[in-house]
Amino acid sequence: MNLINYQNEFQKLLERKYFSSEMHPLRKDAFTKLETTGFPTQKWENWRFTNLSALTDNHFLISEVKDAPQNSIDTSQYEIEGVETIVIYNGHFQKDISSIPDGIELLTGSEYIERNNNELIHSEKSPFDLLNTAFMDSGVCLIVGKNTIAQTPVRILFISNGDNSIMVNPRVYLDVESGSSLTFVEEHVGDATALFQNEAIYISLEENSEIEHIRIQSNSVNTHNIVSLHVSQCSNSRYNFFQYADGSKMARSNIYIDLDGENAECSINCLSLSRGTQHLDNSITVNHNSPHTHSSQLVKSVLFDNSTGVFNGRTVVKKDAQKIEAHQSNKNLLLSKSAKMNSIPQLEIYADDVKCSHGSATGQLDDDALFYFQSRGIPKAEAFVLLVSGFISEVMENIKFVTVKDHIDQKINSWIA
Amino acid sequence: MLEIKNLHAKVEEKEILKGVSLSVKPGELHVIMGPNGAGKSTLANVLAGRDKFEVTKGEIQFNGEPLIDMLPEHRAGEGMFLSFQYPVAIPGVNNMYFLKAAVNAVRKYRGEDELDAVTFLKMIREKLKVVELDDSFIHRPVNEGFSGGEKKRNEILQMISLEPKLAILDETDSGLDIDALRIIAEGINNYRNKDRAFILITHYQRMLNYMKPDFIHVLMDGKIVKSGPKELAHELEEKGYSWI
Repeated sequence: MNLINYQNEFQKLLERKYFSSEMHPLRKDAFTKLETTGFPTQKWENWRFTNLSALTDNHFLISEVKDAPQNSIDTSQYEIEGVETIVIYNGHFQKDISSIPDGIELLTGSEYIERNNNELIHSEKSPFDLLNTAFMDSGVCLIVGKNTIAQTPVRILFISNGDNSIMVNPRVYLDVESGSSLTFVEEHVGDATALFQNEAIYISLEENSEIEHIRIQSNSVNTHNIVSLHVSQCSNSRYNFFQYADGSKMARSNIYIDLDGENAECSINCLSLSRGTQHLDNSITVNHNSPHTHSSQLVKSVLFDNSTGVFNGRTVVKKDAQKIEAHQSNKNLLLSKSAKMNSIPQLEIYADDVKCSHGSATGQLDDDALFYFQSRGIPKAEAFVLLVSGFISEVMENIKFVTVKDHIDQKINSWIA
Repeated sequence: MLEIKNLHAKVEEKEILKGVSLSVKPGELHVIMGPNGAGKSTLANVLAGRDKFEVTKGEIQFNGEPLIDMLPEHRAGEGMFLSFQYPVAIPGVNNMYFLKAAVNAVRKYRGEDELDAVTFLKMIREKLKVVELDDSFIHRPVNEGFSGGEKKRNEILQMISLEPKLAILDETDSGLDIDALRIIAEGINNYRNKDRAFILITHYQRMLNYMKPDFIHVLMDGKIVKSGPKELAHELEEKGYSWI
């Protein structure tokens, strides 16, 4: 595995004055491990449908001061009503145009480490976790204190623009303390012509807390996008995740959920829309570590042209996790003969009193349905839009905050049209 | 209104219609009966413009216009309506949204103003009463989880909303209980007028107890082999098709 470009960039990073040297041992340790494992190849079971060679063939540079905006940036085109927004531009936090609602604490990475007795929660589930730890740049840590119901959603808007071949490694921590709730939106946008974004998110839900997490991946179709989402849930917590993806050339979402406490519940919903030669991969692992936990996965893809997709959904029920309920559903709509979907629904059950289901269906648009619409006077192009929207609508029902849902609906409508 | 001359059609290389001729004038109700596999549904689908049925010979005129090369959505705009034998379920598409899209597409084709949401809802509520369905019905996905009777009533609801000139009802009476049959027959009867024609495809005489057809046609092996007045239906019911 040729990591020479990354080695060069790593040396540059260590010399950066504005990165705290306290973090260096952690970064070095992660990078050393990464040098041993290398990036995944298609020989790795969980990566066999996703080609990552572009990550080593290209030389991605760490984001420099010159990659930060030179003038004030206009974010009006990304406006969502009733949402507070934190802006990160090419890996640089834009304090002037960022705001957060009352009741939520925003910490920098170093403040967060201090708060956690110099222990940083990180993970080594894949080499991309290691890469993120080694290179993490824009750190955003949000803390929702005990018994706080945050009415206003918080969004992190990641804007990636420009022609430089850059790499960003955002790191997000989200701690929701007991009895609290938050709607958290992350939106990835921009026109970057060569970007590698390797994001890591750590979400911790204490007892009786709740998060609506909406991830909008609408970055440029030249982006290589990896996200690793780590969620740990205490008892009676609820985590609702919705991911909308129409951006990226190659994208892989690694989603790891640990249902650690009894009655913890998660709902994972993804909608991927791809065209051209886009490749969108969703890899989900839900661990039922405690009894009486619930999970559901609903993952839908619509594929045009030569685009490809992967659904790898794995639900693991630990030995003593009795009386759990787990459901998995993957549905895919192929709108061209050369589009391709790989679907791998998996259940691993080591307990004996559980309720589980899984299913996967891939098909084309129903000719009978198309004709039915036409026979009622609806022109074929309009019928097509109605049917694709109909396929999508089931997964959209999972977004609760209206203006965020409208925002995504608009994206869908312009994508289909 | 409709002139079919020597119509031949095939599906997947198999010839189904082998020379059908039929003339329908405004205000008339024609009934087509015949054994399974005779080509009744094929005829209905060819008229509605289903492209998997290929017309190989013959001609069709609808309101003086050649029909064969016309798009299905334009046929609907011109006033053709097919009530499907097996209406397809469409999960995720709200019935009202579908009906509104259909009504407005047809209105647009006919050069009429599209209906706004309020006017449409008022109109559709009136039509729902005719087919004896409540409001909740239009908020469900199209035909999804509908009973056999509900699907057929939904077809009639679409028919009376789209106001066609010619309605072809393909076994709309199959699989219905007596009440649903009455509702549908009444819906059709109330909807008959001097400008509007119907073609009813059926296996049974029972629907005809509720209505007054002008002609009965027997379709066998891809051809109309016998035509006659209403009494012919009784005869067919008693004797079957073998005597023809």
